[in-house]
Amino acid sequence: MNERELQDAVNRLPKSIEPPRDLWPEIEARIRAGSGSWRRRWYWVPLAAAAVLVFLLLARGERSAWDVTALAGRPLIGTTRLAASGRLRVGDWLQTDDSSRALIAVGRIGQVEVRPATRVQLVVASANEHRLALARGTIDAKVDAVPRLFFVETPAGTAIDLGCAYTLATDSLGKGLLHVTGGEVEFQTGRRSSRVPLGALMQIRPATGPGTPYVDDAPAPLVRALVAFDFERVGRGGGGGARATRNILALARPQDALSLWHLLQRVDPPLRGAVYDRLAALLPPPPGVTRRGAIALESRALEGYWTKIQRIHFRMVVLRGVKNIDPRTGLSVP
Amino acid sequence: MPDDLVARAQAGDQTAFRELYRQHAARVYALCLRLTGDGRDAEERTQDVFVRLWDKLRSFRGESAFSSWLHRLVVNVVLNERRTTGRRERRVMPAEDPDAVVGAQHAAPLPGSAGLSIDLERAIAELPDGAREVFVLYDIEGYGHGEIAALVGIAEGTSKAQLFRARRLLREKLER
Repeated sequence: MNERELQDAVNRLPKSIEPPRDLWPEIEARIRAGSGSWRRRWYWVPLAAAAVLVFLLLARGERSAWDVTALAGRPLIGTTRLAASGRLRVGDWLQTDDSSRALIAVGRIGQVEVRPATRVQLVVASANEHRLALARGTIDAKVDAVPRLFFVETPAGTAIDLGCAYTLATDSLGKGLLHVTGGEVEFQTGRRSSRVPLGALMQIRPATGPGTPYVDDAPAPLVRALVAFDFERVGRGGGGGARATRNILALARPQDALSLWHLLQRVDPPLRGAVYDRLAALLPPPPGVTRRGAIALESRALEGYWTKIQRIHFRMVVLRGVKNIDPRTGLSVP
Repeated sequence: MPDDLVARAQAGDQTAFRELYRQHAARVYALCLRLTGDGRDAEERTQDVFVRLWDKLRSFRGESAFSSWLHRLVVNVVLNERRTTGRRERRVMPAEDPDAVVGAQHAAPLPGSAGLSIDLERAIAELPDGAREVFVLYDIEGYGHGEIAALVGIAEGTSKAQLFRARRLLREKLER
């Protein structure tokens, strides 16, 4: 059996397999035994258990707060002026005026600098989830943790940390900008999401959410064309965009492959072939990624292509000024 | 936004939650079965997933499809269980009861390539834990190496090496 035959066999495997017996009765029993969430009253719960629960809740409350340090001026936590340092508890709002700044310790995994004129709320502070809501203003986040532990909600969507450093700005309606300076960030609004690696930016708009990411040295005409495609086009899924798409394809360089990778998934289906062909011409696909698979938006094809784009992009960014990197291959050139 | 059924379950509607179980149990069980390689473990993990789902359901905000969100929950539950218990021994069913590994459904012929599918399921179940997890997540479920590395707690290069190893072992097993 060769590689392809194996892959064909894998593709034929069923996605679903019925359990050999009904597992529901045991699930139901475990939920009833372990949760008070069912809408019924548990008269039988002993007082001792209640005491333990109160203790646990108190202990959890103490952990559900992050340290805050004033970097400049007197930021507000709720209605209290922060002198030098304080605690931001779940539900609290931290607000800076035009001349104040603050530093939030994100549990034990990182920090967020809150720039002037910013309003941010602590939403979740647990070991498995660290979540802020940025109502308006600008934050600089640095997180050193496994992906998907740190989230920042904005009026237009959610920034999901994939192990990174970034600056996120938004106005109160959701118009904003994400600039990633380390690792990678995913930004999600409903079913629409973008991946923004280090050295890339992305516009954000209310309702539409994440635009198409672009490298930080992208030419201005390309950025304008992407904005036109993402936020000004009229048609299905937020736009029509044959004209905008043609502009982008004409302006794109090999180093703009990450933009075309996103574009491939956002153009109307008849345009996918043209986007793929341009992407493949600028940065050839890795082995195993087919035109057919990519145009069908098969996850394996898209992931394979993204891995290559990301790898080359990473080398170009970190070796900028040190080595000349071929944007088509990621290899050093004399 | 969460669909109506999910929203009702989030509000504590037991009937709605049971319907969610009916809709998703087979998909969850299939993933648990392939990740654990053991029918009994898969049943336990499937139960764990739905118990955990009941606790976590309110944190689902509709930012992705419910099925995708649930899928990631399944992967986390199975991998966390393995990490927690440290059970790394091969979980291979006795040869005299091979169908228990691949699920009763596969005892019935599948159109076209039933025999190969059964053999493949069995071969996947017999892979070493690490190789099986990477193979299932990458080749069957479509995760990238970066995601797998983060989920499993290994280096990306290790993920690629495990995938290579898994494919080689599978080809060898299926050629016998």
